[in-house]
Amino acid sequence: MPTASAIHRQWNFNLPIVSLATNRNGDWIAAGMGDGSLRLLPANDEAEQPKEMVLHNGVSLSLQPDADGHTFLSGGDDGKVFIIDPKLEAPTLLTEHKNKWVDHVASSVDGYRAYSVGKNVYLLDTEGEDKTGPRQTPSSVGGLTFSPNGKRLAASHYNGVSTWWTNSKESIPTVLTWKGSHLGVIWHPDGKILLTSLQENALHGWRLSDNNEMRMQGYAAKIHSMSFTAKGKYLATSGADQVICWPFFGGGPWGKTPLTLGGNDTRLVTRVAAHPKDELVAAGYDDGMIIMAPLDGRMEVLIHPPVSEKGAAVTGLVWNAAGDCLFAALENGYLILFTIDSVRKAVVHV
Amino acid sequence: MDQIPVTVLTGYLGAGKTTLLNRILSEPHGKKYAVIVNEFGEVGIDNDLVVGADEEIFEMNNGCICCTVRGDLIRVISGLMKRAQNFDGILIETTGLADPGPVAQTFFVDPDVASRAKLDSIVTVVDARHLPQRLKDSKEAEEQIAFADVILLNKTDLVSKDELAKVEHAIRHINRFAKIIHTERCKVPLDKILGLGSFDLDAILKHEPDFLGGKTEHNHHHHGHDHGHDDHCHDEHCHNPDHHHDHGHEHDHEHDSSITSVSLTADKPVDAAKFEAWMGDMRANKGPDLLRYKGILDIAGSDQRVAIQGVHMMMEGSNLAPWKTGAKRQSRLVFIGRNLDEKELREGFKTCAVG
Repeated sequence: MPTASAIHRQWNFNLPIVSLATNRNGDWIAAGMGDGSLRLLPANDEAEQPKEMVLHNGVSLSLQPDADGHTFLSGGDDGKVFIIDPKLEAPTLLTEHKNKWVDHVASSVDGYRAYSVGKNVYLLDTEGEDKTGPRQTPSSVGGLTFSPNGKRLAASHYNGVSTWWTNSKESIPTVLTWKGSHLGVIWHPDGKILLTSLQENALHGWRLSDNNEMRMQGYAAKIHSMSFTAKGKYLATSGADQVICWPFFGGGPWGKTPLTLGGNDTRLVTRVAAHPKDELVAAGYDDGMIIMAPLDGRMEVLIHPPVSEKGAAVTGLVWNAAGDCLFAALENGYLILFTIDSVRKAVVHV
Repeated sequence: MDQIPVTVLTGYLGAGKTTLLNRILSEPHGKKYAVIVNEFGEVGIDNDLVVGADEEIFEMNNGCICCTVRGDLIRVISGLMKRAQNFDGILIETTGLADPGPVAQTFFVDPDVASRAKLDSIVTVVDARHLPQRLKDSKEAEEQIAFADVILLNKTDLVSKDELAKVEHAIRHINRFAKIIHTERCKVPLDKILGLGSFDLDAILKHEPDFLGGKTEHNHHHHGHDHGHDDHCHDEHCHNPDHHHDHGHEHDHEHDSSITSVSLTADKPVDAAKFEAWMGDMRANKGPDLLRYKGILDIAGSDQRVAIQGVHMMMEGSNLAPWKTGAKRQSRLVFIGRNLDEKELREGFKTCAVG
C-alpha cells in the first residue's frame, strides 16, 4: 500500500476523545472528551481552533446528530440529555434522570428523538413529548437507532431487537429474536434490513419482509463500528485485522464472502466510516493507523501511520457531507483532519 | 493502559456488605473508587462515583454451557473507562442472591473489560450468627463462600466461641483456602481486602505457602480443632498469617454441603501434555461444577514454575519465576467445587506425572 501521512491539520486536546460525530447537515463536527466536555468545529478545512463546550458532569456515553440537521444530541453518565447547537455557547438540557446513565440517544429524519436509560426506552415525538411513557426492553439497551425514513425505532438487547412504529401509541414492541447479547444496531439505507453486532464477535441480521436471517462471523473482536456505503452496496465493519465489507447486492450477503481491505496481522480495525458519496471506506486501527480503502479494487492508501505509544487507538472517524474532509479522533487526544486534497498530494509525493 | 483492580463484595442479605462498603469509602485512604451497587441510597459517599446496575446474566454462545457473564458490568465498566479521570479501583457490590461465577467470568471473557480492568479479589461477608441457617436454605450463600479469596466472618460479637467455631468449620468445609478474618461491624484494615492480587498469577507464587494450604494439607486427617483456643485471634490486629488459614480440615459430619475443597500434591514432575489433556477434559465435563481452582506446577523439562488458575471452564496459565536451586519442587493444585470426587481427582492428577 502506498504510504503517506496526509494530515491537513491536527489538534491535541491532551484528553482522551471518546466519541466523534457530525450533525445531519454534515457541516459541524463534535468530539466528546473524557472529561465530559465537547470540542466543536466546522466540518471543513477552515477551523483554526475548535470551540470548547462544557457538557456532562461525567462523560458522554452517546453523541449523535439531532433531528433538525444542525444540532447534536448527547446522553451522559450524569443522567442528562443535552441538545447542542454548535453556534451557541452552552447546551440546552432536554431531560434528566437522576442517578442513572443515559446510555444511548438517537434522532430521526422526521423530528423524533429517543434515548435509553437501562431497560427503558423513551420516544419523544416532534413536540418533544413521550405520550406513551417509557417502553421496556427485557434487558439494558445495547444500541438504539431510527430507521432511515424515521418510521421505526429499534433497540437492541439480550436475545434480540425490539422495534416500535413511531406513530403508534402501542408500547409493546415487535421483537426480532436471536440468542445472545446484541450491542450495536444499524439499518440498511433502504430500511428493509436490520443488523446487530453481538457480544460474540459476530453480526446478526433480519430481512424485515420475510424475517430471513443472516449471520456473519469470523471476527477477532467485538464489532464496535459499522457503516453502510452510500447506496447501501456494502456494510463496512470493524472487529478484524482487515476492514470486512459485506456485499448487499446480487443476493448477498447470503452465501457471499466479504471484501477484505487493508489487511495486516498485527492490528485491529476499531472504526470505519463509509464515504457519503463514493464507494470508499476510511478505517482506523487500534494503534492509530488510518487508511482510505476504495471498494472497486484500487489500492488502499495509508493516510496516517501507526503510532507507537500505547492508547492511540482510533476512537472516532467521520466524513463531512461534501465528502472532502475526514476527521479522525485518537484516544490520546488528537483530532486530525484529512482532506481529499491533502491525501492526493501526499500520495503523489511518495 | 493500566488495568484497574476490581474488588467484588459478596454476601447474603444482612451480612454487612453495605457496612463494609461504607467503611471502605469513608476511611481516609486518599484513594478514589468507582462503586457499582445494586441499590442506591444505602451507600454514603461524597468523593466517589456510585453507579447503579441491575444484575443481567448473559449466556455466551461459544459452546460453553457454564459461560455466563454479567452484561450490566460490561456496560458499566466500559462506560467508566471512557472517563479521563482515573480510579484507583472499582468496587462491585453484588446482591445477596448473586452468583459470583458470572461476575468473575466477565473479567476473563469480555475483551473490552479485560483490557482495562482486572479482578483483584472476591471478598465475601458472612454473618456469624445466621450463616448456619443460610447454608441450609440458600445455594447462593454456599457459592459466595466457595468463590471467596477473603471471608469476613462478621458479627462475631453476637455468637459464642462454640458457635463461632462451628461456623468456621462450615466455611472451611466449603472453602479451605480463603483467608478468614473475624470482624465486628466489618472492622478490617483495608489492605487485608483491597489490592491483594488474588487472581494474579504472579501473586499466586508470592503467596504460595499460604494459598495452597500446604499446612492444611498436612492436617487433612488430623481434624485440627484449633478454633476457639486462647491463641486464636478475633480481630484484625493479628498479624500471624497462620491464624487466617491454618485451621485444618473437617470432614462433613455437620452439614451436607455439596461444595467442597480438594487439595492435591505431586512430588514427581508433571507432564505438560498429560496435564493439559486431563484439565481440558475436566473443564469440558465438569466445568459447571468447578467453581475455582489454582495451582503451581513443576513441569517436566522446565525450570520455571507454572501457575494456573481458573473459574469454571475459563483457565489461564503462565510461566513464572524459576524454582530456587536446591528447593524442593512440588506441584500443588486446589479445587473448590460442587460434587468433587476427591479420589478421582487424586488419581487423575497422578496420571499427569511424567513417565
